[in-house]
Amino acid sequence: MNPVACSAPRRLASFALASVPGSERVALAQVADSVADLNLPPRRLDKLKTAVAEATMNAIEHGNDNRPDLAVDIEVFYSGTEIIVTVTDHGGREGSGWADRGDDTEIPDLDRKLSGDQGPRGWGLFLIRHMVDGMEVTAEGEHRTVRLTIRTPVPGG
Amino acid sequence: MDKSMTSMVVRVGDGLTSVIDIRGDVTAASEPALMAAYEEASRQGARRLVLNFSDLKYMNSGGIGMLVTLLVRANRQHQPLAAYGLSDHYREIFELTRLDEAIGIYDDEPSALAG
Repeated sequence: MNPVACSAPRRLASFALASVPGSERVALAQVADSVADLNLPPRRLDKLKTAVAEATMNAIEHGNDNRPDLAVDIEVFYSGTEIIVTVTDHGGREGSGWADRGDDTEIPDLDRKLSGDQGPRGWGLFLIRHMVDGMEVTAEGEHRTVRLTIRTPVPGG
Repeated sequence: MDKSMTSMVVRVGDGLTSVIDIRGDVTAASEPALMAAYEEASRQGARRLVLNFSDLKYMNSGGIGMLVTLLVRANRQHQPLAAYGLSDHYREIFELTRLDEAIGIYDDEPSALAG
């Protein structure tokens, strides 16, 4: 077994952002900075940045209902073969229902959108799923966490 | 933070085609600027619209939704849309969302105008 792949993920960054419009831009910039030394190919980095921005927007709008007093917590880890980004909001609290509401739960279809069957928005989760190698959502108490993983080039490979 | 990060400039491209130069961000917050540009182009008699993304800095899912709204409006007026200047990343997003099937994608302005 590759000893690099078995090592515990190393935390590269941890930060909290207010739930205000524009925080997603801060999130993608800080995540990009934190992985700058990992030599992620530019196309992969663009995908990671888009996924992080979309997950942060979902956290702000759906998890935290745009309440500036509720933070979005972001952590970045590196396992040797994967970058893992966790985006945590307060979407598990009473009265919230991030996963059960909004257009994002419906698979977006351009034809249906153009005919008016679907609203024009609702591309967020669709984009995330296509940008990263893995996405999972977990909930613990009032916190809900989206975990994004993206594979990195094998060191020396 | 999400305001005033977009500018849209309308200019005559070729005959009845108008070019909208998009600079900065394309997000849901850009919708008033893009719709104003669309209306100005339509007032000028544009039968076809070309979106210039050469100076695009950032586009998110809200921006994609806004482009869908623009497409609906343009389709109603029988105004085809084309685009050029997209980076490889955003070109891929156009393919994933199938926007590339509804908006003609070109490498540069002369190709988009000739399209």
